[in-house]
Amino acid sequence: MKRFLIPGALVAVPVLLAAFGPLFATGGTGKDVAFSSGPGHPFGTDFVGRDVWTQVLLGGGSVVFVAVAATACTYLVAVPLGLVAGMTRHRLVDEALLRPLDVLLAIPSMLLLLLLAAAAPSSRWVLIAVVTVINLPDVVRISRAGALSSAASPAVEAMRLQGESPARIGIGYVARRMLRTLAADLGTRFTGAIYLVASASFLGVGVAPQAADWAAMIDRNRTGLFLQPWAVVLPALLIVALSVGVNLTFDRLLRKRKSEVPT
Amino acid sequence: MNVVEVDELEVAVGGRRLLGGISFALPAGSVTALVGESGSGKTTAGLALLGEHPPGAEVTGRVVVDGHPVTADSSAPRGRIGYVPQHPSTALNPARRVGSVLREIARHHTTAGSRGERKALARNRIDEALRQARLSERPDLLHRYPHQLSGGQQQRVVLAQALLGRPRVVVADEPTTGQDAVTRAQLVAELRALAAEGIAVLLLTHDLDVVRGLADRLLVLRAGRVLESGPAREVLSAPRHEHTRMLVESQPDSRTPAESEVDTEVRPLLAVRELTAGHRSGGRAVETLHPASFEIRPGERVAVVGRSGGGKTTLARCLAGLHPRRGGEVLLRDEPLAPRLRRRDRAQLAEVQYVFQDARASFDEHVPVLDQVARTAERLRGAGRAQAREQAEHRLERVGLDRASTARRPAALSGGELQRAALVRALLARPGLLICDEITSGLDAVTQAEILALLRELPAETGCALLFIAHDLGVVADLAERVLIVADGHLVEQGATAQVLRAPRHPATAELVEAAANQVAPA
Amino acid sequence: MSLPRYLVRRLLLGVVQILLVVVVVFALTEALPGDAAVTIAGDNPDPATIALLREQLGLDRPAWERLAEWVLAALHGDFGRSLTGPMEVADIIGASLGPTLLLAGLTLAVVVPLSLVLGVVAANREGGRADRLITTATLGFYSVPEFAMGLLLVTVFAVQLRWFPPTAVGGGDLLSRPAVLVLPVVVLLLRPICSLSRLVRAGMVDALRSGFVQQARRVGLPPLRVQLAHALPNAVVPAVQQLARTTDWLIGGVVVVEAIFVIPGLGTALVDAVSSRDLPVVQGLAVVLATVTVVVNLAADVAAHVLAPAAEVSR
Repeated sequence: MKRFLIPGALVAVPVLLAAFGPLFATGGTGKDVAFSSGPGHPFGTDFVGRDVWTQVLLGGGSVVFVAVAATACTYLVAVPLGLVAGMTRHRLVDEALLRPLDVLLAIPSMLLLLLLAAAAPSSRWVLIAVVTVINLPDVVRISRAGALSSAASPAVEAMRLQGESPARIGIGYVARRMLRTLAADLGTRFTGAIYLVASASFLGVGVAPQAADWAAMIDRNRTGLFLQPWAVVLPALLIVALSVGVNLTFDRLLRKRKSEVPT
Repeated sequence: MNVVEVDELEVAVGGRRLLGGISFALPAGSVTALVGESGSGKTTAGLALLGEHPPGAEVTGRVVVDGHPVTADSSAPRGRIGYVPQHPSTALNPARRVGSVLREIARHHTTAGSRGERKALARNRIDEALRQARLSERPDLLHRYPHQLSGGQQQRVVLAQALLGRPRVVVADEPTTGQDAVTRAQLVAELRALAAEGIAVLLLTHDLDVVRGLADRLLVLRAGRVLESGPAREVLSAPRHEHTRMLVESQPDSRTPAESEVDTEVRPLLAVRELTAGHRSGGRAVETLHPASFEIRPGERVAVVGRSGGGKTTLARCLAGLHPRRGGEVLLRDEPLAPRLRRRDRAQLAEVQYVFQDARASFDEHVPVLDQVARTAERLRGAGRAQAREQAEHRLERVGLDRASTARRPAALSGGELQRAALVRALLARPGLLICDEITSGLDAVTQAEILALLRELPAETGCALLFIAHDLGVVADLAERVLIVADGHLVEQGATAQVLRAPRHPATAELVEAAANQVAPA
Repeated sequence: MSLPRYLVRRLLLGVVQILLVVVVVFALTEALPGDAAVTIAGDNPDPATIALLREQLGLDRPAWERLAEWVLAALHGDFGRSLTGPMEVADIIGASLGPTLLLAGLTLAVVVPLSLVLGVVAANREGGRADRLITTATLGFYSVPEFAMGLLLVTVFAVQLRWFPPTAVGGGDLLSRPAVLVLPVVVLLLRPICSLSRLVRAGMVDALRSGFVQQARRVGLPPLRVQLAHALPNAVVPAVQQLARTTDWLIGGVVVVEAIFVIPGLGTALVDAVSSRDLPVVQGLAVVLATVTVVVNLAADVAAHVLAPAAEVSR
């Protein structure tokens, strides 16, 4: 339990702020002097004079929850695709599913991100869709590989010899084993999603010009870095804490599960 | 002259005793065999000569190699003792060419003299080691990577590596496990030649055929203690200890083949006509099995024999429905048998069953064994869940697996136990034909004998015919009434076992029989 | 499959990939609302003006026609002219190539040896303090957004400690002021080094436990030789394959880093071109980036094949 303390805290602080911050944001968005620090502004003001702390309280959702939603969408789409591609007997189906994804992989993801996000109005849903598309090839590959190796194993052949139904083999055995592999990848996917969402917001895509968003804050407030560093440092620390925390927590979780498997 | 002397060697790890006070000596030019099942301490003893011990081990006793005492801090001088580990492919670096590593080791052993002299010396050592390991006729092999060599070649390369140091002692750990008869015979000849040059050979094995053909002296190990020791011929022909007797008797002897008990007038159960199989490799169709025709009668025991990679498994998998690309015709009780499992109806599925070589891999590791075994009765024999479980429990108990074991997951059972469970899983379908793919390889002699006993009674008990793949002619002679010889994808000979083994007609068969005979003959 | 045949096949595949990238990028850019004419018109969004501009820029012709024309010209090395400025696309790319190559090159030059060292050290001290430190750090900082880390580092080292300049603004060649490059390179190498050193470590741990390393030690070969000549060649294969991924990350990182440190490289050019809908520039940059990705992927696969011939060559 102790091992989870630091990673857990690193994740909990940003997530709690993102989830419950808006409830406490009573400071309002009144405008004061830009990049100043004075009474009522524990962390100073931002580039248009709004209170930094209030912006922090309001700005977590668009990073955290977009990342969560994007990761969930990725799996929802990729796992069935991978399962079908791995278990099908017809090479054509397999090829038809994989080739378009390979094309996607050839395009540098930042380029894709900039273009896709610029092509559609600044909305969270677009960002979710874009991040899902970028992550799709990897997860499809992983689930396909898992399905392939399971489908060819002697255990599956033995089940077929027993006359077991394909559905039970597919869902009961292959999918279950696949999930194990995917679970090991989940942490990486999530941090990857955070990375993409935050970087996109930083570059100004998918975010309305004045909306509260940690990553966008960092971009907009960096002109005042020498005057009021907190406007940049606070959201940056939160984003870094979230990433590091997710990585470490998932690692601890996975190791705990591994040690619980009976030898 | 004793090259190695071991005196009261004791090795314990965490309170568990791996070796309990064993003593032996290895005279120069002789072959000594340490015989025992897995877990008896053979490898621990062999590695102790190198000064290697399991982590955290407490070691007492004395080990002297070529006059030098071997302790945890000081092993024998470089190169005096050579070690050939159990799986040679794991001892070879997949990223390095074979010759390059040999040169590196040879250079390491030649330290005196100028650069040119050392190069020449290293060259000499390599040539000598290759000759001793019987690789000198194939210098092109040195440019290859390990994965491009056959199993036998890999083993000889590892042996050559060990010989570069001009050792006085060579320890060979299970050199013949998993090899076919011809390769085994070659190995025996190599080790014999080494002994003839004055090297003391320590052979760690559970294969008594090899011991018979090679060893001068024999020590029987069990649970870390020496049960019996003496000249090999004496111990094997007149074992004193009960355990030794059991070991000797478990070993099937290929000199006394079983006689056929089947009525040849009965209609065949399975008729195979012009069966071919292949697969696609790099866009081309490759044929792995050339047209083969044979028949199996009800209740018959038929063996498929041949060298590794010759097509035996392909043949078996075709019949089982696991190999989709096949041509030719297979008739099961005069009805065509579909090549794919999916096309077979329930009755046909139940008639032809298959048992895998690797039992553990054929089970789902997260479901209790009993459930998996019982499933056959549910799916293929229409039994209800409770009824199926009852049947399964009953049959599992008859093969020695009690309820407590089978309620657990596969990880809790040993390889031999899982193989027995796999047999029951297949037999619950009440098949007319049971196909077994080398199901005893990797098991020690005692477990092997138990499983073979089960198979022998099968036709009498259930009327089921047996088609089994084996590379050990001893097993074949013991169990099969008829035998099919497969070489390079061709079915080259078939007939009654006694006849084929005594008077082989095809050169491939002759090679196999001779190799088996060579091992059995006394050294 | 033999190496020459494999190379030829991969090169052909690479060309197809680049072409596909061009088509996809073209389609996406076409889908962007507004176009270069709107950007140029700027504060005068008079429909007549915009229509005139469109005609002048040739934007009123059908899409496939423009694409075909562009591809043909590109094959002759002519990437056309920027729609929003007077310069040739090739010149724009040429001017911005230098700083980006410098950044990427320096990063790779540091990342590769550093990952090897960290991975080998961690594997040799498996379970010890050094290993745990390296493992936790490389795990924790995996995929941390560069802009966040970058600005934190800038705050600490440039604003508070004043060891390095906060941006590259100040004129002059980048190479003449190496202090400017320190922070950008550190930020860029964060992502690759976590991944690569972990892979090297995992590979070394496996190799050090393997039968052939045991055998090499048994035979008495010196420990350093065993590490470098026996264990390492096997250990680095997954890392080499990952290097291909690193290009993708570097491209992303470069865009962010150039934005933060105000470095006029390919990243800045790309962001500007996208926001002003300057299609020829976007196309040109896409080709350059796709080509780099394909080439690095190929090099990594070939290297992996040379190092570990037993592994599967086809994917």
